[in-house]
Amino acid sequence: MKTGLSIFIAAFIALGTSWCGFVLAPLLQLGSAQQTVILQTTDNWPLQRTGAATLGLQVYRAYGCAACHTEQVRQTGSAFEVTLTSLGNQKPADFIEFTKSLFVLPGLANYTNAIAASLNGWNGGLPKTLLTATDKDVATEMADRLKAVGVKSETAIIATGPDIARGWGSRLSVAADFLYDQPVQLGSLRAGPDLANIGVRAPDANWQLAHLYAPKSVTPNSTMPSFKFLFEVRKVGASPSPEALNLPKEFAAADGFEIVPKPAAKQLVAYLLSLKANVPLYEAPFTPATAAK
Amino acid sequence: MSDENKSSSVPSAGEPVATRSAAPMWIIVTTLVLLFIGGIYFDRHSGWFNPKVYAPYTSAENLEGFQPQSGAAAALARGKKTYEAVCGICHGPDGLGKPGQAPPLAGSEWVVAKGFNRLAHIPLMGLAGNIKVAGKDWSMNMAAMGAALPDDDLAAVLTYIRSAWGNQASAVEGDDIKKIRSGMGGGSQPMTHDMLMAMPE
Repeated sequence: MKTGLSIFIAAFIALGTSWCGFVLAPLLQLGSAQQTVILQTTDNWPLQRTGAATLGLQVYRAYGCAACHTEQVRQTGSAFEVTLTSLGNQKPADFIEFTKSLFVLPGLANYTNAIAASLNGWNGGLPKTLLTATDKDVATEMADRLKAVGVKSETAIIATGPDIARGWGSRLSVAADFLYDQPVQLGSLRAGPDLANIGVRAPDANWQLAHLYAPKSVTPNSTMPSFKFLFEVRKVGASPSPEALNLPKEFAAADGFEIVPKPAAKQLVAYLLSLKANVPLYEAPFTPATAAK
Repeated sequence: MSDENKSSSVPSAGEPVATRSAAPMWIIVTTLVLLFIGGIYFDRHSGWFNPKVYAPYTSAENLEGFQPQSGAAAALARGKKTYEAVCGICHGPDGLGKPGQAPPLAGSEWVVAKGFNRLAHIPLMGLAGNIKVAGKDWSMNMAAMGAALPDDDLAAVLTYIRSAWGNQASAVEGDDIKKIRSGMGGGSQPMTHDMLMAMPE
């Protein structure tokens, strides 16, 4: 074993460098992460979960939800969107004529074409999106020139990407979103949809419970297995339970019985409803839809 | 026996031995080129391990460019842009003015006055004759450079010059300029020092 020392050193370097790359570097980069502030507000993000939702994360983990669901929205680009909100005293036809002279430089001709395309067949309805995928300078210049002729417009920052086009979120997921997740349930396989914003997309707890008990009762094409064991089927007592699920006939319990969620189901739903990564942060800026109106 | 064996085998040069040999030059060159390209890519896309920079943002500056600007920050950025296009040619991008062309705005008592009524009249009406700025006498004529600017732009410029270069004075709103403009009357005579002093601050 005369090469024992060299083998040890080589193994040490190999493991040491990967430890530095996978453990030390992320720790130095994100280890000091703290609550941040939601853009243009004084609200903190994220907030600590309620007790039931914190337990629900462990239910989520225990039943392997992360095997088929991710909690990460991807983003491939950002763009500025200029939306027309008021024409002032101009007529739509005059305005369309005016937009042709907005960008006269040959390098910006594609913007003129894009505006012309978006105004094609426009009858004056407002608000009207004039231009997307612009860079900041063009968007600012456009807003300035529109303002100079008395036309009001709003510039919004929008995130783009396939996940966002699917409606799974309004921006990319960032480390701050997972500050209070222990452990983080990122997931890597999408047999089911991404859940980073499920609390925004399906905020109804009764819908969530029905979906857990019998997925096909609310989404007929769902391939999700039923989590019936999180529910109790019991005889209706003196009066029906207020928590009993209200299901379509083919999924409902037999007459005289009711389906009631066990604590784990309620915790899991509380956790799902707490997944709402839809606020703008410094590292993931966008203009929320409500603010644009 | 042993003699026969010896004679029947080909005389060998002994055991094959691995020797050190130089790596081919093309591998070294290719590796260096790949490292160089990788370095450029890293510099352009990594954000230098900044914890706030995620793809698709490529750097802290790139991310900064996508921050929504509102209120004060947006007005200042707008004011700076307009100032540099309209006013900075004579007053200088650093607000120090130019001898023989324009008095300084940085530290000027006319700019950082409590009220901006007199200040706003200068770009709106122009200025003629002698005026004392920051302890020095100036005798320059200024055209009504701000008369053609929209209210919001002029307000942004005034806000900018009142808060840049160490100046610390309150912001100006577009509606304030509108009021001042409507109260100016129809005269097109440039302001003089005495006319400015006669109006409220």
